[in-house]
Amino acid sequence: MPDTKRQPKQRSLPEAGQMADRVAPFALIVGIVLTTVGFFLAFFYAAPVNGAEVYARDAAGNILRDSAGNALPALEEIGGQLVSNVLLISQKIFYFHMPVALVSFLALAVAAFYCVRFLMTKQQRYDTCARISMEIALVFVICTMITGEMWTRFEWGVWWTWEPRLTTYLILMLVVIAYFVLRNALDDPERCATYAAVVGIIAFVDVPICFMITRLVPSSVHPVVLREGGMSADMGITLVLVLIGMLCVAFALYRMRFRQVRMQERVEALKAALDEE
Amino acid sequence: MNPVLQEIYSTVIPSAPYIIAAYALLWVVLLMYVLFVVRGFKKTEKQIAILEEALAEKEGLNR
Repeated sequence: MPDTKRQPKQRSLPEAGQMADRVAPFALIVGIVLTTVGFFLAFFYAAPVNGAEVYARDAAGNILRDSAGNALPALEEIGGQLVSNVLLISQKIFYFHMPVALVSFLALAVAAFYCVRFLMTKQQRYDTCARISMEIALVFVICTMITGEMWTRFEWGVWWTWEPRLTTYLILMLVVIAYFVLRNALDDPERCATYAAVVGIIAFVDVPICFMITRLVPSSVHPVVLREGGMSADMGITLVLVLIGMLCVAFALYRMRFRQVRMQERVEALKAALDEE
Repeated sequence: MNPVLQEIYSTVIPSAPYIIAAYALLWVVLLMYVLFVVRGFKKTEKQIAILEEALAEKEGLNR
């Protein structure tokens, strides 16, 4: 009689050389093309964001006012539209700043998934996947911090401020760095992987806090863009193109690194087998 | 340029170095990671070559 008891489903471990690796080079090309297109759209298609209002002034430079004492805006026609505000070109940084931040959150989510899988199965392959995802997350966290710092410096006049979004993201970056410090500090592979998996999950716990903090703390000065009416269509299209491009780049980098690490692991295994002989 | 237009465009030149730095440094970081991975590939290839040599030597001794 055939064994009718249900066997637990054997999940195949992630491996290099699968379909994902064949798709990765195309993903990289698509990512580069989309981010380049997004770059040009950011500067030549998406309208600049308005800054402070510009007021009409007399010959002496004094602001002109109406009978009620309100300052009169100065209007100029630019590109068929009447403009009465300072145009903020520095806002163009946003079109890459937000996508790299979102990609860093996604990389941390993937890392947390593999951390949980490792803790459940103790399969070293999942630890490898988690480590690589954390590397990708760290790369994109650094990109987010750099673009954010440049924007902060120009827009707010300071390199750093203890603002809720910046503070929670700094904590996230420190936890990600701590993950790699921990990995280098422990010799025993099993313990190293277990403790690192826990830190990886902790890093992911900070992601929704980071994302929601500007909505939870109303006094935050960091812009809250994803809300009703927060973005015009041209901004949205540019942002989505760059986001998809960055996702493709991140995927290609992940697969490239995974392939290299797997190759290294197989070489180490071959060396060990040859030494035993 | 009239003073109103000058004020409207007043942030363009001052913000240019920060915009250029943001985009340039972003791509530098991504490129550095790519170079890190490529260096890993080269190291692994060298180790494969050493393994192949060791295997060939072993086969030569066995004959």
